Amino acid sequence: MTALDVVFALFASTAAAGALLAVTSRHVVHAALWLVLALGSLAGVYLVLAAEVVALVQVLVYVGAVVVLVLFALMLTRAPIGVRADLDAAPGRRRVAAVAGLATSALIGGTLLAAIGSTAEVPAGDGTASALGSATFTGWVLPFELLSVLLLAALVAAIAISRGRDADTPGLDDLAPGGTADRADPGAGSAAPAPAAAPAPATPAAPSRAVGPDGTS
Amino acid sequence: MTPLLSVPVAADFVAPTVDYVAVLPMLIVFGAAIVAVLVEAFAPRASRFSIQVGVALVGLIAALGAVGKLIVDGTRVETAGIPAADGTLAASIVIDGPAIFLQGTILALSILAVLTMTERSTDGGAFTPQASAVPGSPGEGAARRVGLVQSEVFPLMLFSVGGMLMFPASNDLLTMFVALEVFSLPLYLLCGLARRRRLLSQEASLKYFLLGAFSSAFFLYGAALLYGFAESVRLADIAAAITGTGRPAVVGQDGLLLLGIALLAVGLLFKVGAAPFHIWTPDVYQGAPTPVTGFMAACTKVAAFGAMLRVVYVALPGARWDFMPALWGVAILTMVVGSVIAIVQTDVKRMLAYSSIAHAGFLMTGVLAIDKIGISGVLFYLFVYGFTTIGAFALVSLVRDAGEDGVGGEATHLSQWAGLGKRHPMAAGAFTLFLLAMAGIPLTSGFMGKYAVFSAAVSNGAWVLALIGVLASAVAAFFYVRVIVLMYFSEPSGSASVVATPGVGTLFAILLSVVVTIVLGIAPTVLFGPAEAASLFLP
Repeated sequence: MTALDVVFALFASTAAAGALLAVTSRHVVHAALWLVLALGSLAGVYLVLAAEVVALVQVLVYVGAVVVLVLFALMLTRAPIGVRADLDAAPGRRRVAAVAGLATSALIGGTLLAAIGSTAEVPAGDGTASALGSATFTGWVLPFELLSVLLLAALVAAIAISRGRDADTPGLDDLAPGGTADRADPGAGSAAPAPAAAPAPATPAAPSRAVGPDGTS
Repeated sequence: MTPLLSVPVAADFVAPTVDYVAVLPMLIVFGAAIVAVLVEAFAPRASRFSIQVGVALVGLIAALGAVGKLIVDGTRVETAGIPAADGTLAASIVIDGPAIFLQGTILALSILAVLTMTERSTDGGAFTPQASAVPGSPGEGAARRVGLVQSEVFPLMLFSVGGMLMFPASNDLLTMFVALEVFSLPLYLLCGLARRRRLLSQEASLKYFLLGAFSSAFFLYGAALLYGFAESVRLADIAAAITGTGRPAVVGQDGLLLLGIALLAVGLLFKVGAAPFHIWTPDVYQGAPTPVTGFMAACTKVAAFGAMLRVVYVALPGARWDFMPALWGVAILTMVVGSVIAIVQTDVKRMLAYSSIAHAGFLMTGVLAIDKIGISGVLFYLFVYGFTTIGAFALVSLVRDAGEDGVGGEATHLSQWAGLGKRHPMAAGAFTLFLLAMAGIPLTSGFMGKYAVFSAAVSNGAWVLALIGVLASAVAAFFYVRVIVLMYFSEPSGSASVVATPGVGTLFAILLSVVVTIVLGIAPTVLFGPAEAASLFLP
């Protein structure tokens, strides 16, 4: 057993422990923080396997973006933050989830078991930042640049549906043909906060799509 | 065409060579989109809408000019393909005959779509004044009174057009996927911005987004499996891995190949709206603002069929006997489902949606012909179908409820179209022409399109497909003619409708569509020549 194996085992067991604690915790914020531990240790595992870029992406996207998104969602909504006993789903759903989890584990475990003993030569230097970088900026430069266009489009789209130009914004009434007549509308002011909740359809689109490319670019 | 980007074999960094003239149309459109975003940020509110329209039109027309330059430099197009034989060169984007033809079609159609989107003379336009306002709330009413306008539609539409230009020109599955997302994402949003019946519109947007994300995942998974098969996402490499030309063929991995093709096909068939992946089409077409529906129905179909042609003809010709039976089934199902279900529709937008599903089936018969005639037939069909569709939806946006305070929302229920021919002969006449063209009546462009794809199918032995296509067309003709009869020979019943006076943009779009439909019906060779010359894919 080399030192590398020991480090690998350490990272791997930390990741597994973090994942277990994340799902068993009765405290939503703690669960999110355990998730940081699990995902961060996974980045360590990638690092031990000499996939430095994947490790960095793991830290940027999962630890940096996904978990932060979870914490922000907890912070900005009225989600329960304290210790809760009612975090578990209904028994029926729990059983389905358990079956799905076990099936996935069996699939991945089975693949791993089947692969034991067979070795494959991994070309050295494939996972390095320089190899990936030169591939990205030579052959793949057009799709890569196109991703920035995609992000910009998502950003514009998100702003278009979520930004509330409130009817009582100063200066807006100057444009109205009736001028001050519109201010008499008592409902306009009270309706102003609604925009945050209103634009149901595409709001989730932008953030969830933005995450992947955002972290990698 | 020389590949635009060459990948160096050496590890040292060599700057990629980009043929900027060839990608100029896309660069112009994306550039215009970014300018439009800046306009949105800095231009004063009063003049923002007109500036946005100007930016969009100038950008699209300039891009069309750039495509024209590519066409004029005909020799570059014709001499293409030879350099690609060099194994070390690989391009993300290939500008070959079909790509240029499709890009020109998409740009011409999107110019018309922009013109229909500028319509504000009736009811303040098709778009909601403020997307974030709760439907029916006082805030919404205030936003409407103040005359707010969601002018973000123009940059979003330009982004979408840019993605559409890139989609059929992509030379590898990764570029294709990114282009797919670039043109889909703005469309999901544009669907939710209708001015009237906003809940329906938002529902359409959400449905389209969820199902579209799902289909993108299918596409991506298929691309991943094909990468596992061929160790490359480039279309030419996949073709070589199947047939074994230029490299050893991959054997014993048929599972990966077939599953990859199947999943990739699901993603593409969803975008063209082929059965059984068509469920979203009627709801989205009905809920979206009508100019967006026209844009989406015409341009998405062009882009997605272009990409499908490229995948089928460039990447998968060696595996055609494996996937052809399945695609035959899909084509037949699509034609039958589209034609039959359209008969029972009572909403004109839903009827046109099912008709577009049927047209996807007709187009697939051309794709499945697997030869040069098939490609040129599909290219011709896409062009004429796009113009008819944009014109038809532009007219739908003009037929309005006759409220007591003038013009109301769109009168999409078919009963409201009864007797329209007597009250508004011009509008009814134009709509009749478009319906006849969609039905494929001789002397309209639609007839020549159908003739092209069906004859291509027959000449390649797929006469069963052509026969079913002709039968489905006959069924489809029934519901088109039914609307015509309704417009001319029925007395109006129920709520009355009026045809709003169109603005310059809509009027121009409708007139141009009418002209294209008639001219290409009488003199189809005007377009058949270019379509035939363009019908050669380069690996």
